[in-house]
Amino acid sequence: MPSLISPAERDYILKGVECNIRADGRQRPDYREVILETGVVSQTSGSARVRIAGGTDVLVSVKAEIGPVQVDPETGDGADKGQIICSVECAPSASQQFEGRGADDLNNEITQMMSRILCNNTTSSYTSTAASTTGSSTTASRQSSGPGGINLQKLCIIPGQQCWILYIDALILDYGGNLMDAIFMGTRAAIFDTRIPKTEVQDLGDGQFEFEVLDDAEDTDPVEGREDMPICITLNKIGACHIVDASPLEELCTEARLVVAVNRSGQLCGLQKGQEGGIEPSLLLEMIQFGKTMGQTLIKQLDTKIKAEADADLAKRQRGEPVHKLGFFAQ
Amino acid sequence: MSEIAFYSPVPRSSNSKAKSKGNHSNDNDMDLDEMISSVAKNSSTSATLHVVTPGEVITTDSAYMRGHGTYVENEKVLSSVAGVVDRVNKLISVRPLHTRYNGEIGDVVVGRITEVAQKRWKVDLNSRSDAILMLSSVNLPGGVQRRKQESDELQMRNFFMEGDLVVAEVQSFFTDGAYSIHTRSLKYGKLRNGSFLEVAPALVQRCKSHFHSLACGVDLILGLNGYIWVSAHVPQNLDEIDTEQVYSNKNKEDITVQDREAIARVANCIRALAAEFIFINDTIISFAYEASLQHKLKDMTKKEIMHQIATEAVDAVENMKG
Repeated sequence: MPSLISPAERDYILKGVECNIRADGRQRPDYREVILETGVVSQTSGSARVRIAGGTDVLVSVKAEIGPVQVDPETGDGADKGQIICSVECAPSASQQFEGRGADDLNNEITQMMSRILCNNTTSSYTSTAASTTGSSTTASRQSSGPGGINLQKLCIIPGQQCWILYIDALILDYGGNLMDAIFMGTRAAIFDTRIPKTEVQDLGDGQFEFEVLDDAEDTDPVEGREDMPICITLNKIGACHIVDASPLEELCTEARLVVAVNRSGQLCGLQKGQEGGIEPSLLLEMIQFGKTMGQTLIKQLDTKIKAEADADLAKRQRGEPVHKLGFFAQ
Repeated sequence: MSEIAFYSPVPRSSNSKAKSKGNHSNDNDMDLDEMISSVAKNSSTSATLHVVTPGEVITTDSAYMRGHGTYVENEKVLSSVAGVVDRVNKLISVRPLHTRYNGEIGDVVVGRITEVAQKRWKVDLNSRSDAILMLSSVNLPGGVQRRKQESDELQMRNFFMEGDLVVAEVQSFFTDGAYSIHTRSLKYGKLRNGSFLEVAPALVQRCKSHFHSLACGVDLILGLNGYIWVSAHVPQNLDEIDTEQVYSNKNKEDITVQDREAIARVANCIRALAAEFIFINDTIISFAYEASLQHKLKDMTKKEIMHQIATEAVDAVENMKG
């Protein structure tokens, strides 16, 4: 991850973006190839590894664990909801700058962003999302599933007591630009890969409940509402234009960065502006619109890929063949 | 609206064709004696290439001497890096698979200024420590020959600023192993008019010249440290260089769309070759460029096409050799 760029390089990249030829020959709205594999970590409930050709390498895992429900002391909200807890960590091997405490800011920034978009379990965090403060956005209207999509009520086992907690952990193994998009793609793939064991609740009377987790590997539930999970498109404003999937050097030339979170129906689920520069209102609207269309295309293609892989694995299992994942022995 | 392509990972061995062909010049590969090859067989690798991981026992025979990349523990020679075992008589060393730049005096390198310090710049060369460029090892603008004064020290940032890319030559080593580099030639100095890319330092071999001007109107500097500069062609006549402009940050005005396309194409060719671990020199880059012309520029980031270009370039080089 370079942190410095020379004025001549900056000028070259800026003019290149202007005439629609980026340093690696792509045009402004071009994504690099994405390499994706799900189910790479067997200890998790669901996992995915996403690589963007040219460097970025992200491993996302989802672990479902049972824990107490979190009730908001002011509103009394959340008694009947499960939780999602996100965490992002940059491996020091990804870049020299991540060593020691170097990655703390980046970790925090991405974790916050993920939590705001995905963990909409309390109303207070819901209103603090960037999406609802912009006013112009059309956040998801259904109360049961906020912008995060995942139905948290379904994750509750005994209201007021026990629920499933989904720990979403992203590990950045290599840095080659456009982390945010890769993480969200990985999260979606990992959630699609996640299976939650079924539970059986027994009513003991007097408001006492007991539950049992069925340990049949076949009899599991997918995460409900996963199709409505948003995905992120990071738009980098360079000069008067904006590009997607910026390389590390392009990120250094970025004046302003806009992260647009959008779900499959094209609803805006979150918006975050980064870097120092400003964005003209007209360009802002154009960028949001672009992000929305791009996001929908991305979701469609990502889902096709995830489904194809899941189907292939299922077909193998039915034939009684072992499902081999390449994991880290692949390129 | 452009498409986003998703792929599944592939096993590592699937594109070994270009790899085995590309490794043509490395003929100092092992002559392992029976002892080591028997160890190699035991450790489930091929007998000709003994690959070890850190902490792996290379030999238990105390008659061997330990070289680079190894250490001795309980009278056994162990590897300290992941790499390939190399043996010269009784000396055992391990060549790492992935390494930083190990310089030699006279190497042409491309580096990035990371710090401006007292009478010196620190330069990132992808080596283990930053190299040092002394104020006394640079040319003054205008080519004036005189001792550097305090006034020069005060305006060091006018010469090189943090982030600037320079091409330089390794002059000597300091006692702590850091490189001292110099730019005291009109060939060396600040880089403009192009784009930067990085490959593994081992892929750039020492050649007669590291400055190339390709037929497609692109200038190329292959830094031995794996940093490569691809830029628009600037007619070079060492007598007519405007010596006042050597420290300018301004790109030339007339970089055309065709220039940019050619630069991006050459840069992508180099990336394609590096992805297949093929040694990079001007000949193979020219062949790769020829091979790339049948593809659209924006398609060149695709893995399949990169592989195709690299394979074709290797074949072309072999045909040329006969």
